[in-house]
Amino acid sequence: MGDEVLGGIPSLFKAACNPEKTGKKWAVFLEPAVLRNAAQRMKDDGYHLEDITGLDTKDGLLAVYHFDHYTCPGRIALYVIIPHTDPKLPSISSIYSGAGWHERECHDFYGIQFTDHPHLDPLLMPDDLKIHPLLKDDDAHIPLKEFFVPEAIIEKETNFTLLDGTDAPDEATPASNDTEGST
Amino acid sequence: MTPAVQHTDIEPDPALKRFEATEDPDTLILNMGPQHPSTHGVLRILLKLSGEYILQAEPVIGYLHRMHEKMAETRTWVQFIPNMGRVDYLNPLSWNWAYVGSIERLAQIEVPERAEYIRVITAELNRIASHLVWHGAYLLDLGAFTPIMYAFEDREKILDLLQPLSGSRLTYSFFRIGGVAADVDDAFLEGTHRFVQTMRERLPMYDDLVTKNVIFRHRVEGIGPISLDMCRRYGATGPVLRGSGQPYDTRRAEPYSIYHRLAFNIPVEEKGDAMARYRVRMAEIKESLNIIEAAVNEIPDGDHLMKKAPKPRWKAPKGEAYLRWKGPGEKWGCTW
Repeated sequence: MGDEVLGGIPSLFKAACNPEKTGKKWAVFLEPAVLRNAAQRMKDDGYHLEDITGLDTKDGLLAVYHFDHYTCPGRIALYVIIPHTDPKLPSISSIYSGAGWHERECHDFYGIQFTDHPHLDPLLMPDDLKIHPLLKDDDAHIPLKEFFVPEAIIEKETNFTLLDGTDAPDEATPASNDTEGST
Repeated sequence: MTPAVQHTDIEPDPALKRFEATEDPDTLILNMGPQHPSTHGVLRILLKLSGEYILQAEPVIGYLHRMHEKMAETRTWVQFIPNMGRVDYLNPLSWNWAYVGSIERLAQIEVPERAEYIRVITAELNRIASHLVWHGAYLLDLGAFTPIMYAFEDREKILDLLQPLSGSRLTYSFFRIGGVAADVDDAFLEGTHRFVQTMRERLPMYDDLVTKNVIFRHRVEGIGPISLDMCRRYGATGPVLRGSGQPYDTRRAEPYSIYHRLAFNIPVEEKGDAMARYRVRMAEIKESLNIIEAAVNEIPDGDHLMKKAPKPRWKAPKGEAYLRWKGPGEKWGCTW
């Protein structure tokens, strides 16, 4: 199980997700170095790129790549974590032409540098804007494992510890318990 | 003769960097927008032209961007709903839905059945209204003035239906986490039913006026072909994809709400040209009418909003959820 998703591409962490709750079927964490290979594999397997987005977490900048398939739907999310101090990722715009704009948007919002992008100019932000508006202050950062809930972990590298303790989803928190507002 | 003034203090346009110099004396670079009438302040395109042929186009699309993401940081989950009416002002209800639907998925909130029907009816009405604006503006951009008058006349009927219900004509903020803001009354349902009949009678006139028009067909047939592979590379969905022969519809591929109970076809065209995309959209209006009619006939009694629906200060649980929703243009996703 799990081999049909990016078989042969080394992943840090691979988990099945509950599509009813998360909208995803698979979540795969990758090293930045294998991102292009993974994107190429997704394209060869007939997937299209839905979007690229980012998240500013305590553990680093998280880039999220959503893929889906026209004929056998089932969303796959590829995640790459990069340090705040050196936010660099390889561009996949030569594989997925549509990625070019998504990467420019991610650069606008999070300051991620996509190397080998043909022109990483601002897409939505003004040309002279010097800040990246969706980066959070240190006290607003939360760790990845506080919001990432995999259903069943298929693969896990031993040195990948960011999500330790998330493999037992807590059934007792269906959240709608407090719809009245806290205070 | 006075020399031309040299503005050395003005920084060169960043978008111009992407154009390579050429020796061809017939090639020129033309700036279109954002003050061009058909881009009305929201779009600028730098065009490299050879005669009337476009060799290269560099769009500048940030003019209408309002950074809703940043605004969300200082609002509660409920307070942010009105923003979603302003993301796409032609079809705000789908953004309403994308937003509240993804939160409901995240918080595992059950929506009353009647509310789901109301959502389907209003959102499909809104989809038709959006398609009508597309129809009118598309033809207007091609140089045909009359069709937009018909399209706006029919769109007006939809706005008249949604206005008493939602309180606005354009930027609806009608959906709530756990349902919708107000229940529909018999007048709305009867009016909707009447609209479906009227619109069905009007559509043949659209076809006679436009779809079969020889000038229009010469302008769009065989123009702008998009292959399925190109769709995949660019992540195209919606009428673009269905115009290229792929029967992919989010309401089928990843059903949400009550769409799995409603019978509808997925319009597909094989040719992948501008005409194919036009035909798909026109056929979608018909399908939306069928969906609305079925939903109006089957709407059950019950609540329009869940009991104990989230109050303004409610906080969603921590987590991550993704919902995609079929908008009129393409598939939209909402991630938390």
